[in-house]
Amino acid sequence: MKIGEKYDPRKTFGKAVTGLAGNNEKVVVFSADSGKSSGFGDFIEQYPERYFECGIMEQAAMGMASGMATAGNIPVFCAIAPFVTCRPYEMFRNDLGYMKQNVKVVGRNSGITYADLGVTHQSLEDFAIIRMIPGVVVLAPQDPAEIVEAVKAMIDYEGPVYMRIGNPQIPVLFEEGPFEIGKGREIHDGKDVTIISTGSMTGAAMEAAGSLRKKGYDVGLIGMPTVCPLDEKMVREAAAKTGKILTVEEHYVDGGLGTMVAECVSDMENVRVRRMGIPKLYATTGSYEEILDFYNLNADGIIHQVMEFLH
Amino acid sequence: MDKRINRLELEAARCRLNVVRMLRASGHGHVGGALSAIDIVTALYFDTMRVDPENPQWQDRDRFLLSAGHKCLAQYAVLAEKGFFDKAVLDTYGHLKSPIPGHPDMHKLPGIEANTGALGHGLAIANGMAASAKLHKQDYRVYVIMGDGELPEGSNWEAAAQAAKFGLDNLVLFVDNNGLQISGKVTDVMDMRPIDKKFEAFGWAVTRIDGNDMGEIVGALDRIPLAEGRPNMILCSTVKAKGLVMGEGDASFHFWKPDMKDLDEVETILEKQVAYLQEVSEVTA
Repeated sequence: MKIGEKYDPRKTFGKAVTGLAGNNEKVVVFSADSGKSSGFGDFIEQYPERYFECGIMEQAAMGMASGMATAGNIPVFCAIAPFVTCRPYEMFRNDLGYMKQNVKVVGRNSGITYADLGVTHQSLEDFAIIRMIPGVVVLAPQDPAEIVEAVKAMIDYEGPVYMRIGNPQIPVLFEEGPFEIGKGREIHDGKDVTIISTGSMTGAAMEAAGSLRKKGYDVGLIGMPTVCPLDEKMVREAAAKTGKILTVEEHYVDGGLGTMVAECVSDMENVRVRRMGIPKLYATTGSYEEILDFYNLNADGIIHQVMEFLH
Repeated sequence: MDKRINRLELEAARCRLNVVRMLRASGHGHVGGALSAIDIVTALYFDTMRVDPENPQWQDRDRFLLSAGHKCLAQYAVLAEKGFFDKAVLDTYGHLKSPIPGHPDMHKLPGIEANTGALGHGLAIANGMAASAKLHKQDYRVYVIMGDGELPEGSNWEAAAQAAKFGLDNLVLFVDNNGLQISGKVTDVMDMRPIDKKFEAFGWAVTRIDGNDMGEIVGALDRIPLAEGRPNMILCSTVKAKGLVMGEGDASFHFWKPDMKDLDEVETILEKQVAYLQEVSEVTA
C-alpha cells in the first residue's frame, strides 16, 4: 500500500482476515446476512466449512461465536456497527466479556458513514458502550494499512476485541508496520497544543496539524488506533507538555475518546481538554461529507478549534 | 428395582442434600427450579456424560450448561458429588468471594462451561460448542437445560433456528417444564404452548418425559440422537421444588429463604431416603 492510495475498508478487512485464515485454521467467520458486504466473498469460497451464516439474528450469532471460542476457535463476527453493539449488548457483555471469550467483533459502516440511511444505522455510541465492558479491547484503525495490521494484532490477541471500520474509501496515511494494541501513534511532537484523534478523523487531523504547523504553530498530534485500553502514558505526557488537549472522533462527544482522555487527565493540574465529535442527539442525514461538514468534523473545523484554544 | 435407576436415585438424593447444605450456608437460594431439574443433572453426570473431574477441561468431554443459570444449585450439588471440587466449597454459598455464586462463573469453578444467569443465552452458546465438535470431527455432545419460564426470550428462538440449520444432532436441550415461574403459572405469565410443536416446527426432534423419573430420563438419553441431523429437545414435565415437602409445586419456592427448622425437616427426610436407597442397592448388589 502506498501513501495516498485509497482503499475500501471493508474489502481491506475481509481480505486481511481471509489471508490469515489460510495459515490459521482456528479462524471461523460468523455472518448475520452480512458476510459479503463485510468483505468475506473470498473467505466464503475458500473456507465454506468455516463460514457460519446465521441470518439476521445478531444475538444468537454472538452467543454461538462465544460457544465456538470455548472450544479453541477464533470467531470473527462482522456486521453493521449498531447491530453488533447495541442490539446484542447483553451477549457482548456476558457471553464475550464476562466469559473472556476469544471472539473478534467488527462493526462496519461505523460512525456516521451510513449517513443517509439515518440514525438506526449510524453508530455514534459504540466506543462508549463497549468500553464499559471490562476486558474488551476497542480498536479504531485510522487507515487501510492500520486495518491490515490491526486485524493481525486482534487475531493474535487472546480475548474479546471490538474493532470499528467505516465504509467509504479511505487513504493510506502511514507506512505499514507492526500494530501494538494499547499504543498511541505520535504523528507530531508539539509544545502548544496536542490533538488526539482516532479512526476516520485522523486524516483530517493530520491535514489540520500540517496546515497549522506551516503557519508556525507547534501543534502536536497523536493518533489513537486503540481506544480502549487508552494509551494513558502517552496522553499524560502530552498533557504535561502542552496543557491543552483537543480530541477529535467520529462519535458522540460524550462517552468516547474525548471523555476517556478527560478522565485520564482529570487529576492533572493546568490541563484543559476540548472535545470534538457529534453532539449527543439523533444526527441528521445527508451525504457523509455533508454531515461531517455540518458538524465541523473536517480540517477547517479542527483548525478553528485549535485557534480558539490557543487564543 | 433396576440397579442403574436405584444408583441414580441414590445420587440424586445425595445431591439434594448438597442443596440443603448450600441453603444452610447462605440462608437463601433459587431452590424451586434447581430441584425440578436436579434429577436430569444427576442422570447426565452419573450416567450419560463423558467427563473427568480430574481433567475438567478435557477437550473431548461432553459439555453441560444451564441456560437457566439460576438453577445452579443443582449443578453445584452434582459437580460436588461427582468430585469436581471439595464439598467444603458448598459451605461458602452466598459468602464473600465464593466460587459458587448465585449464578455460575466458569472462571471460578471447575466444571462450569458458561457464565449464564441472564436468560436466553445458553442455547446459542451450546450451539457454538456443538458446531465446533462437528467442524473438528469430535464426538462429544452438548447438553443444555432451559427453564420453561425463559421460553419467551426471543434469543432462544434465534438459537433454535440456528441449531436446526447447522444440523446439531449432538445437542440435547431439556426444557424443564415445571409450569411455574416467580410470578405464578408459566401459562398465565406468557403462554408458550405448544412447546413441543414449536420446536418441531423449528426442525427439532422432540420427545416428552417425566423429568423427575430417572427411568424416563435415561430412557430418553439412551435414544439420542432422536433423529439424524436434527437437534434434540426433551420436554420434561417436572415438579417445582421437587423433594421439599413444604414447597413442592409452589411458585413461592422459586427463591426460598428457609427457616432452619424447615431445612432440618427436609434433611431428615432426604437422609432417610438415602439410607433406604443405599439399603436397596446393597440388597440388589
